[in-house]
Amino acid sequence: MSAATLEAQVTDTPPADPAAEGTEPDPRYTFANERTFLAWSRTALALVVAGLGVVQLLPPFPGVPWGRHVLGVPLIVFGAVVAVTAYLEWVRNQRAMRLRRPLPQSVMPKLLAAVVAAMAVISGVVVLVSALR
Amino acid sequence: MTPGQHDPGQHDPGQDDPWDLDDPDPGRARERTSLAWTRTALSFAAVGAVVLRKDIILGLIILCAAPVTWQLGRLAHHLRGRLELVTGTIVAVALAALIVAVTH
Repeated sequence: MSAATLEAQVTDTPPADPAAEGTEPDPRYTFANERTFLAWSRTALALVVAGLGVVQLLPPFPGVPWGRHVLGVPLIVFGAVVAVTAYLEWVRNQRAMRLRRPLPQSVMPKLLAAVVAAMAVISGVVVLVSALR
Repeated sequence: MTPGQHDPGQHDPGQDDPWDLDDPDPGRARERTSLAWTRTALSFAAVGAVVLRKDIILGLIILCAAPVTWQLGRLAHHLRGRLELVTGTIVAVALAALIVAVTH
């Protein structure tokens, strides 16, 4: 393995502590990064409570006893995924700012849009199946 | 220029300098971030209230996360582990919600 390859691997491997390398960025960007993390955290909590609400508060779908769980459980699991991904993105963004690099592209909006669209389709299917039975 | 970069050519020492890293109050950013922490704490309270209807103990535990989160937002932003704690709490809440959803 060449020294350049080794150096690239070391450089591309995020350290455990995002504050361990580079220089302190403009505090306004640090705060903005933290606010973005918090906004995604609230989205994660909203997904969890939406999933719980679907399972616990919606009346059962006639003829589809598993309907509420099919809709609610994925939302709760996705809430946890969003929370963890938000933290990882905060680490990546903080590291990029400290190293004066362009910010990495976020996967979160696409991921959220895909999951919400999928849940809408599944909801439609459950309602349709319930109406037909 | 990448985000966070500082162009010294734009510096005006006669004004309140937002690029001053030693400035304890960079504009309203700190205030906006503090409000974001407050909203997050309120979100925990809302989740706790919903869970409270089905599981009192679990709901009370999640409700306790609200003042803790609010207090975390008031601590210095250099303090390590704050965001990890929020992430861990949300994952724990999701796990608890999953158990409530499946078992109740």
